[in-house]
Amino acid sequence: MRRKVQSASSLSDRLFDAFVYTFVTAVLVVTLYPFLNVLAISLNDSIDTVRGGITVYPRKFTLKNYEVIFAYKHLGTGFRNSALRTLIGTALGVISASMLAYTLSRKDFQGRRFVSVFLALTMYVSGGLIPFFLLIRDLNLMNTFAVYILPGMVSAFNVFVIRSFIDGLPYALQESAKIDGANDFTIYWRIILPLTKPALATIALFVAVGQWNSWFDTYLFNSQSEHLTTLQYELMKVLQSTQSNVDYRARNMTEVMAQVSPESIKMAITMVVTLPILFVYPFLQRYFVKGMTLGAVKT
Amino acid sequence: MEAATTTGKMTRRERTVRFFRTALRNRWLYAMSLPFVVWVFVFSYLPLWGWTMAFQRYRPGRPFSEQEWVGLDHFRALFQDALFYQVLRNTLAMSMMGLVAGFVVPIFFALMLNEVRQMLYKRFVQTVSYLPHFVSWVVVAGIVTKMLSTDGGAVNGLLLWLGVIDEPIQFMAKGKLFWFIVTLADVWKETGWNAIIYLAAIAGIGPELYEAARVDGANRIQQIWHITLPGIRTTIIILLIMSIGHLISIGFEKQFLLGNNLVREYSQVLDLYALNYGLGMGRFSFGTAINMFNSVVSILLLITANGIFKRVTRESIM
Amino acid sequence: MGGVTDSMNQQRKWLGLLLAVIMLAGLIAGCGGKKNDGGGSGGNAGGGASTSAGSGGSGSAGSGDAGGELEPITFTFYSADPSPNWQNMQDAVGRAITAATGVTLDAEFEVGDAAQKIALIAASGDYPHLISPKGDLGKLVEAGAMLDLTDLIEQHAPNIKKLFGDQLKRLRYSEDDPSIYVIPTYAEVGQTYFDAGGGFQLQHRVVKELGYPRIRTVKDFENAIREYLRKHPTDENGNPNIGLSLNADDWRMYISVTNPAFYTTGGPDDGEYHIDIDTYEVTYHFRRPIEKEYFRWLNHMNAEGLLDNESFVQKYDQYLAKIASGRVLGLIDQRWDFQEGENALKAEGKFEYGYGHYPVTLTEEFKETSFWPVGFSPGWGVGITVDNPDPVRAIKFLDFLASEEGQILDNWGIEGEHYVYENGKRVVPEAVLERKKNDPTGFQRESGIGLYHNLGAHYGDGVLDSTGNYYTTNFPEQIVATYNDVEKETLAAYGATTWKDLFPSEKEFPVKPWGAAWNIQVPADSELNVLQERMKEITWRRIPQAILAPPEDFDRIWDEYQKELLAAGVERMEDEYEKLVRARIRLWNE
Repeated sequence: MRRKVQSASSLSDRLFDAFVYTFVTAVLVVTLYPFLNVLAISLNDSIDTVRGGITVYPRKFTLKNYEVIFAYKHLGTGFRNSALRTLIGTALGVISASMLAYTLSRKDFQGRRFVSVFLALTMYVSGGLIPFFLLIRDLNLMNTFAVYILPGMVSAFNVFVIRSFIDGLPYALQESAKIDGANDFTIYWRIILPLTKPALATIALFVAVGQWNSWFDTYLFNSQSEHLTTLQYELMKVLQSTQSNVDYRARNMTEVMAQVSPESIKMAITMVVTLPILFVYPFLQRYFVKGMTLGAVKT
Repeated sequence: MEAATTTGKMTRRERTVRFFRTALRNRWLYAMSLPFVVWVFVFSYLPLWGWTMAFQRYRPGRPFSEQEWVGLDHFRALFQDALFYQVLRNTLAMSMMGLVAGFVVPIFFALMLNEVRQMLYKRFVQTVSYLPHFVSWVVVAGIVTKMLSTDGGAVNGLLLWLGVIDEPIQFMAKGKLFWFIVTLADVWKETGWNAIIYLAAIAGIGPELYEAARVDGANRIQQIWHITLPGIRTTIIILLIMSIGHLISIGFEKQFLLGNNLVREYSQVLDLYALNYGLGMGRFSFGTAINMFNSVVSILLLITANGIFKRVTRESIM
Repeated sequence: MGGVTDSMNQQRKWLGLLLAVIMLAGLIAGCGGKKNDGGGSGGNAGGGASTSAGSGGSGSAGSGDAGGELEPITFTFYSADPSPNWQNMQDAVGRAITAATGVTLDAEFEVGDAAQKIALIAASGDYPHLISPKGDLGKLVEAGAMLDLTDLIEQHAPNIKKLFGDQLKRLRYSEDDPSIYVIPTYAEVGQTYFDAGGGFQLQHRVVKELGYPRIRTVKDFENAIREYLRKHPTDENGNPNIGLSLNADDWRMYISVTNPAFYTTGGPDDGEYHIDIDTYEVTYHFRRPIEKEYFRWLNHMNAEGLLDNESFVQKYDQYLAKIASGRVLGLIDQRWDFQEGENALKAEGKFEYGYGHYPVTLTEEFKETSFWPVGFSPGWGVGITVDNPDPVRAIKFLDFLASEEGQILDNWGIEGEHYVYENGKRVVPEAVLERKKNDPTGFQRESGIGLYHNLGAHYGDGVLDSTGNYYTTNFPEQIVATYNDVEKETLAAYGATTWKDLFPSEKEFPVKPWGAAWNIQVPADSELNVLQERMKEITWRRIPQAILAPPEDFDRIWDEYQKELLAAGVERMEDEYEKLVRARIRLWNE
C-alpha cells in the first residue's frame, strides 16, 4: 500500500533526487567491488590466482578451494557452536544492554551517575591478557561453553547507544504508565522495548556479528576441547595450514604439504564466514532502514 | 515531607532518610542494574591488578610475591625513547583524521540513503555498503596497494589517460600521503557499517514531524537540516564522545598492512610499537606500562570530551 | 495503557521465547567438557630405572623393554607450530606408533601467536605433559616447568643417544644451567644438502639466448640482465620486462635484500651478525666495509633502471604475481620464497621462464657461502614438563621416534602401504607418488607421513640406515628426477647435474664452532633484544633509502646510516652478543 507521492515536486526536489541517486549508486559500485573480487578469487584455481589480475569474475573456475575447507572435519561442530553462541549471546546481550540503558536513562535514578562512570571507564581500561586468563581459570570457566557468553555480556558501548535512543522518547509515555500503576520493570518491558526496536536491532546486529566472528576466546580457553570449537577458530586453522609457517632460516627439505595457495583459501574463508550473515541480515534490516510506509513506530 | 530547619538546609539525618527513601522508590531500577554492575566489576575491574606488572620485571610463572619491583623504570624508558614520540604523533594524526572522516562520511551517507524512496534499492544499497566491513584488512590493503601501484595500477592508469600526469606516481612510497591513504581506505571499508547506527536513529524520528515541515513548505534539504539532523543529534554526540576516548588506541592492522619500509616514519603506530617492544619481545611489563599509558590518556580524553559536550550541548555520557 | 489482547499475546510469545533461550543458555553453561586429564599411567608401567636391553651401539628398533611397558597411556602435548592435518593419531603411522609404544597423544597445535600462548601456559601453572615451545622455551624454564632430561636420556633412551652421538653436549641449555630441556626435533643430524635453492636467480631463457655465459660475479649477473633487456624490453603483450625484483615485504627483507650482502662477500649466515672464525669477534654485519659495496651495486642497478622500482613498496602477493607473469628476468631470493610464482609458470608450461640458481658473489675473490657447514645445530625441540605423570614412558616414547623403526615410519610410512622393497632397496610405488602429488593433504591425513616429524629427533638427508637405504625420502637421484627438461638443458650447458654443483661445497669451509648464530637463544629480558629491534628499525629504513637514492648521494646516506647505528648503541649490542657466542662455544666444546 503505497501512498501516492505529491505530484507537484519542485525543481529543487528533483535535482536533489538526482544527486542522491548518483551518490548512492556510486557508493554501491565502490563497495560492491571488493566483495565481488573476493568471491571471484575464491572460485578461481589457486595456482592461477598467483598470477594476479582477477577483477570480478574467476578466470579459471574451480570449487577446489571450498572443497579444501569443507574437508576439515570439525567444521560442522564449529558451525553449530558458533550459531548457538550467536543466538544466546545476542539475546542476553540485547537484554542486558537495554535494561541497563533504561536504568541510566531515568534521571531520578539515584545510582545513575555512579553506574555511568563505572561503565564508561571499562571501555578504556584493561588489565592485560594474563590477568584476564587467570581470572577465567579461577572462575572455572575454562573449557566451557559459558566462557563464550558470560565475560562479554555487558558492553558499555551498547548500553550508551541504546540509552541515547531512549532519551529520544517522550517521558510522558512513562509518566502515564506510572499513573496507571506500572512498576519500573513493566515500563521497561512493555513500553521501552517495543519503542526502541531500531536500536535493539542495531545492537543485536553488532553483538551477533561479534559472536559469529570471534575465535580468540576459543583459542585462549577452549583450544583443548574439540567439541567446543567455533567456526572461525576452525577456519583460522585452515588459514594457518596454508600459510606455511616457514622459519626463514629453516632449510628443511621435507615436502611442504600446502598445495593450495593461501590467497584463494583466504577468500573462500571470507565467503564462508560472511554468507550466513548475509542471509540473516534482511530480517534485522527492516527495523532500521526506514521506509515511507513504516508508519507509526509509536503505538 | 520532612521538617526543614529554619535555614532551609537539611540535617545529616534528614539527608540519610531521604537517601533511603529514594533508594526504596528506585528499587526496581537497582534490581535491574546492580547485577550487571557486579558483572562488570568481576570481568573488567578485577583483572586490573595486572597493572602492577608495569612496576615489576614480570616473569610469567613466578608467583606474585616473587616478582621483582622496579618502580617507574619502564615508564622512564618509554618516555625517553624518541621512537615513542614519533609513533605517538603518527597515531594521533591518523586517528584524528579518521575521526573526522569516520563521522562526516557515514552520517552523510545515512542521510542520503534515507532520502532514497525506492525501498528495494535502498535496502540493496544498504546491504552492499557494509560488505567491505567483513572483508579482512589483508585483502583490502592488497586491493588498495594494487590500485595505487605503478605497474598497471588503476589510479595511475586513469591519471595517465586523462593526461594529468606524464609518469606514474608511486603513491605508496610517499610518506606524506600515507595518512590520507589510510584514512581513505578506512572510509571505503567502514562507512557502510558505521552508517547503520545513524540509519537506525533516523528510523526513530516520528513521521509527523516531516509532515508538519512539508505543510510549512520546507523542501527536502531543509527537512534534513531541521528535522533529521537534530533528531539524531543525541546519538551523534554520544558516539563522538566515545570515539574521542579511543583516539589513542586505534589498533595497528591497517597501518601495518598498508605500510612499507619507505614510509616507516609515518606508518608506525603506538599499538605496533607496544607489540614489537612489549609482548613480541616477552617484555610484559613494558607492554603493560604502555597499556596503562593508553588507558590514562583515554580516560582523560573521555572526561574532557564529556565535560565539553555537557556544557555546550547538554548531552553527555556521564 | 489499554491492554489490547493482541499485543499482550505477542508480549507473551516473546517472553516465552526469551525464557526458552535463557534456559537453554543455562543448560549449556552447565555442560562443558573438561580437557582430558593426562590419564592414569595405566597400571605399573614398569616405573623404575630399568636398564635398557640394547646398550647404545646396535641401533636396533624398539625401546628395549617388553611386556608391561605397553599399557596404554595418554599424554597431553602442545606445539607452537600448527599441524592442521592432525588426526589424533588415527592415521596409519600414528596407529603404528601407538601400537609400538602404547602412547597416544592428546595434542593441541598453535593457531595464533605462540609467544602469547606460552606466556599464558607459564603464568597459569597448568602445563601439558609434553611441550614443543620453539623459541619461547626460556619462559618455561624460568617458570620451572621443564624437566632436566639428562638422566632420562642416559638411562632410557639409547636411540636418542646414538642419534646425537658426540653432539649430545650441544643439547645443554646454558653454562649456568647445563640441563637438557628439549630434544631437538627441528634440526637434522648428519644432514647433507643435495640441492641449492638460493644464490642469485636468472631465467633460463636469458642465459640460453646469451649462450650460457659465466655467471659468477654481480657484474656478470648485471650484464646478462642488461643485454637481455636491451633486446627484449617488453614481453609479447607490450608489458615491460623487469630486470631484477626484490622481495621486501616485512621479514622477507632479510631473505632477499639483506642476507645476500653476506652471502656474496664471504660471510656465512649468522643472522644479523658477522663472527670472525678465528677471533670470534662479533660485528653487526652491515658494518663490514665490504657490504657497503654490495649495496652500492644495488644502488647502481637501480640507477641503471635494472631494478624494479616497486621492490620496496610491493606486497608479497604482488611480487609473486610479477614472477608468475614471466616478466622478471632476475631474482635474489630463496626458492621456497618464490616457489608459488614459479609453480604458476610451470603450470602453464612456460618452463623457459623458470629460474636457475647461480653462486654469485661481489667479486671473484669471494666464495658463495650458502653451504658453509654449521655442524649439528640444535635449537627447538620437545621437552617433558614437571606435570608429566610418567617421564620414563615419555622419554621412551621419544626414544622410539628416534629409533630406526620410528624414522622409517615418519618418513616412509608403512611397509606395503606406502613403500616396498625392491631388491633390498626401498622404493615408493608410482601409485603412491601420484597420490602424494595430486592430493597431498588427503594423503597426509590418511598416512600420517610427516605429521610426527617435529615430534622426535631425526637424521637428515643422505644418512643411511642399517639396511643401506636412506632414512629420508630426499636423495640425489630423486632430486634430479624433479627437474624439467629446460632445467636439465641449462644445467648441462654449465656442466652440472644439480644446482648445488655450481656452488662451493661444504668441504671448502671450516665448521663453525658456534653452529648457526641465529638460533642462539637471547634471554627474554636482556637489553640485547631492545637493541636488536632498534638496529632493525634503522637498517630497514636506511637500506631501501640508500638503494633508491641517486648514486652521488649513496656515500652520504651510508655514512649517516653508520652514524645512526653507533648513536643507537650498536657496539654495545655487538659486545653483548659476543658474550653469548663465546658462552655457546664453551658450552659445546668443553
